[in-house]
Amino acid sequence: MRRFVPALLVALLASVPLWLSDPYILNAFITTGVFTIAAMSLNLLLGYTGQLSLGHVAFFGIGAYVSALTSLGFDVELFEGFHVVHDPWPVVYGFILGTVFAGLCGYLVGKLSFRVRGAYFVIVTISFAEVVRLVALNWVELTQGPLALTNIPPFTLGLPGLGYATLYGKIGNYYLVLVVGVIAYVVIKHLVQSHIGRAMIALKENESLAVSVGINVTRYLVLAAVVSAAIAGASGSLYAHYLRIIDPDIFLFLYTVTMVIMVITGGKGTLAGPVVGGAIFGAIPVIVRSFAAPEVQWILYGAFMMVIIFVLPHGIVPALERWFAPTTPKPERIAPQPSASAE
Amino acid sequence: MSRSRVLAGAAILAVLTGTAVAQESIKIGVNEPLTGPFAASGTYVVNGARIAADEINGKGGILGKKIELVIEDNKSNPTEAAAVTEKLVTRDKVPVIMGAWGSSLTLASMPKLMEYQVPMLVETSSSGKITTSGNPYIFRISPPSSVEAAAFKPMVPKMTIKKVDFLVINNDWGRGAAEDFGKMLKSENIQVGLVETMDQSAQDMSAQLAKIKASDADTLMVTTAVEQLTLVLKQAAALGMKKQIITTGGSQNPDQLIAQAGTAANGTIHLATFAPWQPDSTPNPEAAKYFIGEWKKRGFDFPGVTESFRGYDGIRTIAAAIQKAGKPEPEAIRAAFWTVDVKGLNGDIKFQKQGPAGKESGQSVPNVYLIKIDDGKVVVPTM
Amino acid sequence: MSEFLQHIANTLILGGTYALLGIGLTLIFGIMRVVNFTHGELYTFGAYFVFLVVSVLGLNFLLALPVAIAAGLLLGAVIEFLLLRPMRDSDIDTTMLVMIGAMIVMQNSEQLIWGGVAKSVSTPFPETPLVIGPVSVSYLRVFVLAMALLLIAATYILINRTKLGKAMRATFQDRDTASLMGVNVQAIYTATFAIGSSLAAAGGALLGPAYVISPHMGDIASLKAFAIVILGGLGNITGATLGGFILALAEELGAGYVSSGYRDAMGFLIIIAVLLIKPTGLFARAERIG
Repeated sequence: MRRFVPALLVALLASVPLWLSDPYILNAFITTGVFTIAAMSLNLLLGYTGQLSLGHVAFFGIGAYVSALTSLGFDVELFEGFHVVHDPWPVVYGFILGTVFAGLCGYLVGKLSFRVRGAYFVIVTISFAEVVRLVALNWVELTQGPLALTNIPPFTLGLPGLGYATLYGKIGNYYLVLVVGVIAYVVIKHLVQSHIGRAMIALKENESLAVSVGINVTRYLVLAAVVSAAIAGASGSLYAHYLRIIDPDIFLFLYTVTMVIMVITGGKGTLAGPVVGGAIFGAIPVIVRSFAAPEVQWILYGAFMMVIIFVLPHGIVPALERWFAPTTPKPERIAPQPSASAE
Repeated sequence: MSRSRVLAGAAILAVLTGTAVAQESIKIGVNEPLTGPFAASGTYVVNGARIAADEINGKGGILGKKIELVIEDNKSNPTEAAAVTEKLVTRDKVPVIMGAWGSSLTLASMPKLMEYQVPMLVETSSSGKITTSGNPYIFRISPPSSVEAAAFKPMVPKMTIKKVDFLVINNDWGRGAAEDFGKMLKSENIQVGLVETMDQSAQDMSAQLAKIKASDADTLMVTTAVEQLTLVLKQAAALGMKKQIITTGGSQNPDQLIAQAGTAANGTIHLATFAPWQPDSTPNPEAAKYFIGEWKKRGFDFPGVTESFRGYDGIRTIAAAIQKAGKPEPEAIRAAFWTVDVKGLNGDIKFQKQGPAGKESGQSVPNVYLIKIDDGKVVVPTM
Repeated sequence: MSEFLQHIANTLILGGTYALLGIGLTLIFGIMRVVNFTHGELYTFGAYFVFLVVSVLGLNFLLALPVAIAAGLLLGAVIEFLLLRPMRDSDIDTTMLVMIGAMIVMQNSEQLIWGGVAKSVSTPFPETPLVIGPVSVSYLRVFVLAMALLLIAATYILINRTKLGKAMRATFQDRDTASLMGVNVQAIYTATFAIGSSLAAAGGALLGPAYVISPHMGDIASLKAFAIVILGGLGNITGATLGGFILALAEELGAGYVSSGYRDAMGFLIIIAVLLIKPTGLFARAERIG
C-alpha cells in the first residue's frame, strides 16, 4: 500500500489545475513547489550525510543567475580589451547550464568545505553564500548588480528544429515544476537507495567506523554535494523564469531558512520529508496572511516552527511512519544519540 | 496526501475570508513592505494612504462609492511582492494597485501587471528600469535619480562645488544616483572623485569615510535612507570631516536627522521632494496643511511625513484616475491615468510618456527642494 | 599616511566592538555546541533596553548599562531553560532551527513593540570628536572600546580564574567526564548561555547609542559574530578577541584600499581561507568540534 502513496500523490497533484482555477493559490503551489525541490536537494546533504549547509541558497541563486544570463545574453569585459560576449540562447539551455554550473560549484564547495564538520561546516557554507551574494551585487557589468536582471524570458520547452513552446501561464509552469520535482525525487530516491546512499548513511551515523571499513568519506560527500547543488540550481532556474526578475535578494538568508525548515519539520533523511514540510510551510504564509497582522504572521511562523520541533523532533514523516507501522523497525533511522553529530 | 489536504484547507480558508468584503466599495490594492528591513518606510506610506482614503470617503467617496484599501505586506522580499500582486489582482479583484516601495519589489511585481493587465501606481521606487522597460501599466509619481539630478542642475552654479565624492547605498537607488548626478555634475564642469558604496545593512561606514576624508574633493554627496544617513553624518563628524555634505533620494527625513544625529546634522544640505516645514510655500498649501494636521492628529511622529506624503498623493492620484475613468475597471483606469492632473503635495501630478514607443510607462515630474539644516533647524536657503 | 593612521584608529574602535560580539557567541558555541541565532536579537534587546531606560524612563546612560547587562543575563537564562534544555540531546541542526524560530519571534516582537522606525539614545559624551594629530575619533566610541576591553578581561578572568570558569572549561573539554566529576552540567549550560547573552546585550547597550536602534540591527551583528568565532576557534576567548580585531582590520583596509563594495566580503573570504589552511581557526587549541 505504502509504495503507491507517491504515485497517488503525483496523480493528485497532476489533477490540481483541473479543479483549482484560483491563480493566487496556483501561484502559491508553484513557488512552494520550487522551494520544495530546493529543500529535497538540501535533504540529500542534511538528511543523508548529516552535513548542514546553511548556504544552500547560493546554489539556488547560481542556478537562477546562470540560467537567466544564458537566456538574456551578456557582454563582459574580463580584462582590458578582452570581451566575453554571449548572445541569448533558448531557455532550455539556460536550465541545463544552470543545473550543470550549480553542480560544478557544488563540487568545488564540497571539495573545500568537507574538510570541516559540524558547526564549522555551517559557518563556511553561510560564508560561501554571502560571498556569492556580494559578487552578484558588485559585478554589475555581468549581473546588473542591484539593478536586477529584468525581462527574463519565460520557460520555453523544445529543441532546435522541433519548435518551441513558451510557458507564459500558470498551468504550464505548474506542470513544469511538478515534472522537475518528480525527476528530482526519483534521482534522489535512486541515489540514496543505491550502495552510494548506504555509504552516506553509514557515514552520517558513525564517520570513524565508516572510514575504518574503507568508505572514501570525501568522495561520497562531494558526490552528494554535486547532486544536491545541481538540483538546487535547477530549482533556481525554474524560479528565475517563473518570477522573471532576479536580483541579489535571491540570496536572502531567509530562503535558506525556508529550505531547512521544510526539511527538518518534514523529517530529514526521509524521502517524503521535504515534500510534507514544503507543503506545510508553503501553506502557512498563505493561511496566516488572511487573518494576522504582518508582524504577528512572522511570530506565528516562528512559533509554529519551534512547536513542531518540540513535539516531533524528528519531523512529521518519521512520526507518521511510527504511527502507521509501530512494530516495523525503520532501517534508515537509528535512535538518537546524545550529540551524535558533535563528537 | 497531506500536502494537498493542507493546501486545499488553505484554499477554502482563503476563499472564505476573501469574499467577506462588501461589494459596494471600490477596492485599491496596496503592496508595501510592513515587515523586514523596509518596514518603517512601508508603514509610513500605508499610513499616508489611509489618510487619503479617509479624506476621500469623508467627502462621499468616488463615483458614489466608498474606496477601500486592501493592504498587503510584501515582507521586503521580491518573491512575496510578486505573490502579493497576484493575490490583490486575482483574489481581491482590485482594479488598480499602489506599490511596492523598493525597486526590486516593484520590478518583481511588474510581470504580473502585464499578465493580468492591471495598472500600478509606483509611489517610491527610483530605479530607471521601472519606466523604461516597456511596461504600459506603470505610472510613477516619485522621481528617478535622473529627474532629481536634472532638477538640481540649475542650483549647482549658485553653490560652491568644485569636486564631488559619492557615498551611496549599494543598491539600484544609490548606484543610480551616483551615475545620474555624476553625469550632471560633469556637464557643469565639476569633477567627480571617489564613488564609494555601503551595504544596505551596514552600520559602520568609517572606513569609507576615512578614505573620503583624505580625498581632495570639497563636497560629499550621500544617497541612502534616513537610518543609514544618520550613521554617516555621525561618523563623518567623529572623523572631523569638514566637507560640504549634500544628500539626495527623498528618504532623508531631516527632522529625524536633527533628532538623532544632533550637531552632526548641522550644515548639511538635502534635496527633498516635500517640504512640510513651511506648508504655506508648498505647491498645494491647503492639502499640505490638511495632511500634516491629520498626520499629527493620528499620533504619528512628524518626521514621517516626508515619506508618507507619497502614499497620500498616490491614493489621491488613483482616486482621480478612477473618477475620470468613470468605472473601477483596470483598462479604463490605465487610460485615465494619462489624463489626470492632480494637485499633489509636491506639485502637479501629470504623467509623461517614458520608455519604448507603443508601450510607454507614465512618469510624473515632482518638484525638488534644496533645504539646509542650520543649528538644529530646517531652513530653505535663498538663492 | 594620515588616512592610514585613521584606518588603524578605526580598526581599534571597531575591533573592540567585534571582539565583544564574538566572545559571547564563542562561549555558547564552544561549550554548548549551539549555533546561537538569537545572539543578534540579544544584542538588539540590549540596545532597546537602554533606549527604554534612558529615553522612556529618563535615567542616565551610564546607569542603564549595568541594568541592560543584567536583563540580558536574565533573558539568556530564560531562553536556555525554556528552549535549549529540552533540546539537549538533539542534533546540532534541530537545535539551530529552534534558535532560528526564536530569532524570528524575537525580531518581529521587537518590531511589534517599538515599530520599525529607528530610535536613538543620547549619552553624556560630547559630540565633538577627540582629535589626536591626524586621527579623529568620537568620545563615545573610545568609551565603548574601553568598556569592551573591560568586559572581555572580566570574561577572561571568569573563565580562567574562577571555580565556575573551571567547571565551564571542563564541560567544554568533555561533558561526560565533567559530569562524572560532579560538575552540574545543566547549571553550567544555563550559566554559559546567560553569560554569553549578557555579553551580547552589553554589545547592544554600548553600540545602540553609537549607531541607531532598529529591529534589524542584530542581523549584521550575528553575521559578524559568526565570522569572528570561526576565525578565533570555537570556545576560544583570546581567539575571538584577536579575531574581532583582524576582521575589523580586513574590513578597514579592504574598504580603504580595495573596494567598498567588497568590504563585507573580506571577513567571509578570510574565513574561507582560514578554514582551508587551518580548519580549527587561527588560534585554536587542540579541541575541535565534530
